[in-house]
Amino acid sequence: MDDPMRVYRAKRDTAHINVTTKYDIVGFISSGTYGRVYKANTKNVKDELWAIKKFKPDKEGDVVTYTGISQSAIREIALNREIFHVNVVALREVILEDKSIYMVFEYAEHDFLQVIHHYSQTLRTSIPAALLKSLTYQLLNGLLYLHNCHILHRDLKPANILITSKGVVKIGDLGLARITYQPLQPLFAGDKVVVTIWYRAPELLMGAKHYHKAVDCWAVGCVLAELASLRPIFKGDEAKLDSKKNVPFQKDQLLKILEVLGTPEERDWPGIRSMPEYANVKRLDTYPNRLYEWCRNRLPSNSGYELLNQLFAYDPDKRLNAREALLHKWFHEEPLPTMNVFDTTSDAQLPPRRRISHDDAPSMMPAQATQALPAGQFSQQAHLQSQTHGSAGSFASLSGGGHPRKKGRLA
Amino acid sequence: MATDFWASSHYKRWILDRATLKQARVDDLQYVDYPEQLDFLNIYFASLIFKLGKRLQLRQRVIATATVFFRRFYVKNSYCETDPFIVISACCYVAAKAEESPVHIKNVVAESRQVYSQEEYGIKHFPTDNSKLAEMEFYLVDDLECDLVVFHPYRTLMSLCGREAVATIAEAGELGIGINDGPRYWGTGEGKLELEEGPLQMAWFIINDTYRSELCLLYPPHLIAIAAIYLTLILNVTTRATLQNQAQAQSAPAPSTRRSSRTSSGTQKKAPQDIVGFMAGLNVSMSLVATIAQEIIGLYTLWERYKEDAAADSGRSAFGRSASSASAGTKRSAPSRDPSVFMGSEELSAGGTPAQPDDVVTPQYLTQLLARMREARLADLAHPASGRPVAVNKMLERTQAAG
Ligand SMILES: Nc1ncnc2c1ncn2[C@@H]1O[C@H](COP(=O)(O)OP(=O)(O)OP(=O)(O)O)[C@@H](O)[C@H]1O
Repeated sequence: MDDPMRVYRAKRDTAHINVTTKYDIVGFISSGTYGRVYKANTKNVKDELWAIKKFKPDKEGDVVTYTGISQSAIREIALNREIFHVNVVALREVILEDKSIYMVFEYAEHDFLQVIHHYSQTLRTSIPAALLKSLTYQLLNGLLYLHNCHILHRDLKPANILITSKGVVKIGDLGLARITYQPLQPLFAGDKVVVTIWYRAPELLMGAKHYHKAVDCWAVGCVLAELASLRPIFKGDEAKLDSKKNVPFQKDQLLKILEVLGTPEERDWPGIRSMPEYANVKRLDTYPNRLYEWCRNRLPSNSGYELLNQLFAYDPDKRLNAREALLHKWFHEEPLPTMNVFDTTSDAQLPPRRRISHDDAPSMMPAQATQALPAGQFSQQAHLQSQTHGSAGSFASLSGGGHPRKKGRLA
Repeated sequence: MATDFWASSHYKRWILDRATLKQARVDDLQYVDYPEQLDFLNIYFASLIFKLGKRLQLRQRVIATATVFFRRFYVKNSYCETDPFIVISACCYVAAKAEESPVHIKNVVAESRQVYSQEEYGIKHFPTDNSKLAEMEFYLVDDLECDLVVFHPYRTLMSLCGREAVATIAEAGELGIGINDGPRYWGTGEGKLELEEGPLQMAWFIINDTYRSELCLLYPPHLIAIAAIYLTLILNVTTRATLQNQAQAQSAPAPSTRRSSRTSSGTQKKAPQDIVGFMAGLNVSMSLVATIAQEIIGLYTLWERYKEDAAADSGRSAFGRSASSASAGTKRSAPSRDPSVFMGSEELSAGGTPAQPDDVVTPQYLTQLLARMREARLADLAHPASGRPVAVNKMLERTQAAG
C-alpha cells in the first residue's frame, strides 16, 4: 500500500530549514556523554555566537536509522523549552534534521573548570574574593530558579557551569535534570545516577533511595571549595560496579569527605541509621572535623567558612538550600558579588577564550559544514594561539583529562 | 515551571482560540459529509489513544498528555493528509518519555498493531518495523515545537478537592507524583472543598472525558477542572441524599482496580460545606466556567450518539475492568438528559442509553470515513484541476509561511 504519510513528509521536508542554512559552523568544542558540541555563528550576522549540541544519532551497524529519541534528549529538550533565567543557559531552538537532533544554545565563552585551570596553571594564584563570590552567587541564583521550578540538576560540576564573555554565569547541561515533586519518587535500581562522584552528596554515597534538592546544594559546596582551593576538595576514586553489577560501597569517596568533615554524628544526622550503607560507614576509622583548618588559607573569611560548613551539612534536611545560601551574610559583606563576575578582573587576567578545534569526526556535521570549516577554522585557531600563550593546553584535554566525565551508577 | 503555569509553553503557545482551531480543519471540512463528523472524530481518536494507552499500561496522566500532543499536532495538520494511526502511536510513545515512564518502541509497535487491526479499525498497514514509528516521533516532536511539558486539570482537582483519605487514586499511581505539591498557580491559593470519594471520582471522570473534545486546546487546565467540579456539584444536589443515606452503595467505579478497604472512610458524614463561598473564592470567571461546563454537556450529548459496537465492548473488557468502567461510568453519568442516571453501580452495569439507530456513529463508520477522506484528498492533490481548489504548491507555500 501507498505510504500514507508521503504527502505530510514532502510538505515538512520542503518547509524545513537546514542547520547549515542558518548557521556557520565555526568549529568543534567538545564531545560529551550524549553528543558533540560545536561553536556556530548565525549566517551573515557578525558575532552572533551559539553552541550547537548535536545528539549522537543512533546507528544500526553502519547505517544511521531512526531508533527513537533518547530519554535524556527528550528530558533536556522538554525542560529547556520551559525555563528562562539569566543564570541558566538559554536554548534558542531545536532543529530536528536528518535523523539528528541539534540544540542551539546561547554561546558561553568560559566555564568554571577553565577558570580554575587558568588560575592554577597560568596565573598561579588563587581566585580573588570578588570573583569567587560573584561566581558562587550567580550559580546559586540559577540553582534557586531551577529548584523553584522543581528541577533537580543532578550533575553540577565545574565543567557544566558556564560563563559568558560578559561575565554572566550560566548553568548548563540539563541532560540529567529531572522534575521532582514531594514526596520524591524513589530511585529504582538501575536508574542512572547522578552527579560525578567528587560532587556526590553523602546521602547518595550511602545508598539513599530518596533524595532531593539538597544533592545540588552539596555539589555547590564542592564547587565553591574547588574555586577557593583550585582543586577538587573530595577527590575520591570511584569504585566500579563488579561483574555481577552489584552496587559498590563508595568507600574511597566517603573517606575523602570524612577526612575533612569528620565522622558524621548520629545526633547531627538522625537519618543516617537507616542508610543502606550505614554499617559500612561505621566500620571506617573516625575523623575529627577539620573544615575550619581547611579553610584557613583557602577561604580566609569567617563567613565564607560558615557558608561552606552549612552547605556541607551531612543531614540533607539541615543543609542550606539555595535561597538560604543566597541570603548568607558572606554575600552581603565586602567585596560584594557583581553582575559581571569579571568586573574586578583586569584584561590581562581574564581567562582565555574557549579553544575550538577541527572536528575529529567530521561526518558528524552535515556535508556543507565540513567543507566550510577549514577557512573559518584557521583564523580562529590563530587568534586563540596568541591569546593562550600556548600554556594552558587544549581545553579539550583539560576537560577530558582532569575530571571524570562519565556518570557513575549508584543504585 | 512545574508550579508556574503562566510561564509555561502550555500557556504561552498552546492555549488557542476557536478561529485557529477552525482554520486547522479547513481542508478536512471539504471531505466530510457534515461538520459534526469532525466532532465525532475527536471522540474516536481520543478513545483510540485511551485504548492503546491502556494496553501499554500508561497512567491516565500520560494518556492525557498523549491526547494533548495529538490535538496539537492536528492544529497544524489535516486528517486527510496524514495517517492518524501512526500519529497516535507516536504520541503515546513520546508522552511516555516526556512523563518519565518510557515504554519500549517495540511494545508500542506491537500493541498498536493489535489495537488497530481490531475489526472496527481494520488497519492492516501499520508498519512492523520500529524505524517508521521513530521517524514519526521525529516529525511529531518537531511539529510540537519541542513543547513536551503539559499541564492537566487533575492536579487542580486534587489540590482543590482531594483529601488524605481519598488519596487512593493518587496511590494507584493515576496521578503520578506530587499532585498536591506547590502552591496553586492562580488566585490566593486558599479555599478547599472536600468532596466525598464518589463525587471526586465523578469530577475525575469528567476531566478524563474532556479529552474527547478540543477543550484542552482552548482553556487553561485549572478552568477545566473547576468546570468539572461545577458539573459534579450540580449533580450532587440530587445525589447528596443518596450520598448520605446509602453510604455503602453510592460509590462510582474506581479508575483503578487497586483499591483498599480504607476508602470506606470517605463515606462518613460530613458537616455541610459552603459550596457557593468556595466557588466565589476561586477567583476565576464563573461565566467562563459555565461556558466550559456547557461545552462538556454538549460533548456528552454528541457522545451518546457514538457507539462502540459489541466487538469493541468485548475488546475493551480485555484491557481490564478499570479501562472500560472508567469510560463507561462517566459516559452513562452524562448530565445532559437525565441526571438520575448517575446513581449507582447497578445502573452503570446496565445497558447503554438507547439512541436513534440512524443517528448513531460507529468506529467502523469513522474508520471508513477517514480512508475516504484521504483518498479524495490524494486524488485532488494529484489532479488539482478536478474542481477542488487546493494545489500542492499553494499548500507548500502556506506551510512555509507558517513554519
Ligand atoms: N552553551 C555553551 N557554550 C559553550 N560551550 C558549551 C556550551 N554548552 C556546552 N558546552 C561545552 O560542551 C561541553 C559538553 O556539553 P554538555 O555538558 O552539555 O554535554 P554532555 O554530553 O551532557 O556532557 P557531559 O558528559 O559533561 O555531561 C561542556 O562541558 C562545554 O565545554
